[in-house]
Amino acid sequence: MSSNIVINASRLTLSYGHTDIIKDASFSVKKGEFVFITGPSGSGKSTLLKSLYGQIKPTSGSLMVGGLDMINIPRSKLQGLRTHLGIVFQDYKLINEWTVAKNVVLPLIISGYSMDVQQTQAKRLLKHVKLSDHINKYPLELSGGEQQRVGVARAMSKNPFLILADEPTGNLDDYSSNVIWDLMENACGQLETTVLVVTHRIPAIFSIPYRHFIIENKGVYEVH
Amino acid sequence: MKFIKNHLTFIFPMMAILLGVEFFLVFDRTTTNYEKNLREGYSMFIVASEPISLADFMELDSHINQSEAVKKEELAKQIAKGMSKSSTQKILDALPHFYNIKFDSYLHTSTLEHIKAYLEADDRIKRVETFGNSYGASYTLFSFIKFTFKAFVIFMSLVSFFLVIKQMEIWSYAHKERMQVMETFGAPVMLRSGILFKVAFIDGIISTVLTSSMFLFLKYRWAEESHIDILLEMQDLLFQPIDFLILLATALFIVFVSVYLVVFSTKE
Repeated sequence: MSSNIVINASRLTLSYGHTDIIKDASFSVKKGEFVFITGPSGSGKSTLLKSLYGQIKPTSGSLMVGGLDMINIPRSKLQGLRTHLGIVFQDYKLINEWTVAKNVVLPLIISGYSMDVQQTQAKRLLKHVKLSDHINKYPLELSGGEQQRVGVARAMSKNPFLILADEPTGNLDDYSSNVIWDLMENACGQLETTVLVVTHRIPAIFSIPYRHFIIENKGVYEVH
Repeated sequence: MKFIKNHLTFIFPMMAILLGVEFFLVFDRTTTNYEKNLREGYSMFIVASEPISLADFMELDSHINQSEAVKKEELAKQIAKGMSKSSTQKILDALPHFYNIKFDSYLHTSTLEHIKAYLEADDRIKRVETFGNSYGASYTLFSFIKFTFKAFVIFMSLVSFFLVIKQMEIWSYAHKERMQVMETFGAPVMLRSGILFKVAFIDGIISTVLTSSMFLFLKYRWAEESHIDILLEMQDLLFQPIDFLILLATALFIVFVSVYLVVFSTKE
């Protein structure tokens, strides 16, 4: 497998109990690519995304993320992999008892970065997502769109090699959605981070090239 | 109000465990003293055909830690009152050797019987006599009290430990989302359960301070004001500075174990 390939799935099957959600799916994603995965509700988009950060173990086939075999990955290696991923959730999943700044640098806290680095990075990222004025606020003091910008900033705080986003604009209005897409485009275009977004609708205006996979009848197919 | 209730449901069972530990320590100290008296009041009297050293006795049984030879001269003098010196000497030569032996610990009556039988089997030993008629009865009663007390402390501690675990599960549930977010970003167990450790450590320290305060009150106020002789005699044994460290170590150990039990039993 080329080192340029970030995700490689081969005859991948994902199941809940005895029910297959994804069956015999094969696809690969290269470094720096922007990928959309779409499909109807309940088609298994989120399940596929969860398997990419090890929340769900594949039933059969193979799945490599960042060169690591997600079927046989030991717990310690999975933890290590997750510290190099950026994950964005539809419901933001911010820690409400923490300030915005502390939420943004969660990946840095986990990796044991110094307070100075954390503060510098928090300021830089919050400026990038245009939330500098909210640095000491708590998530519940922000609007949904602002909270998701914090979520995106958190995902980018450790310069991950892969950003995984699960319906990142699902709860947002058009304006906030556009801001989030801009941030994602920037992450991919400028930082060469691979971005994989699960969404039910690809934004109408998208300025960088992207690949599009669709999930249908348990299979994953590329749309050309 | 809910905040206080949340913490008290952890502090109370923790205090119950610590009280059990402290009662156990005090009980152990007082009974050690009592055991020593019982032990010292018990001895075996040995009649031997030839001299036997302490090392020889210890070889026969390792529990023997003292042997005292009874002076035959005094005995011979008593028996041979008014007789000539040569007769006294003859009596002295004819007398066997007498020893009083003592033991290193408070032994079970069956162990003592076993030692006695073992000594009697030795060719040099003619007779073994035991002194301390109340030993058997005291031993049985004392052992029963000790066993009952220990069983009670263990039972109380187990029930309290389950209550501590229950409270930890409630806290774990309350902080579940935060811990899951941290886990998703690769936080190790220690870091993501940090919030549980923090809360439990604080409550563990509060429990230790409260338990220590109760015993200090018991030692310096209640014991003195009660005018109960035994309490005044045992006042020094009631709460010693080292006990605070033992209680603190116990509390922190329980915190550690309970957090880990709860965190590891929670599936991702």
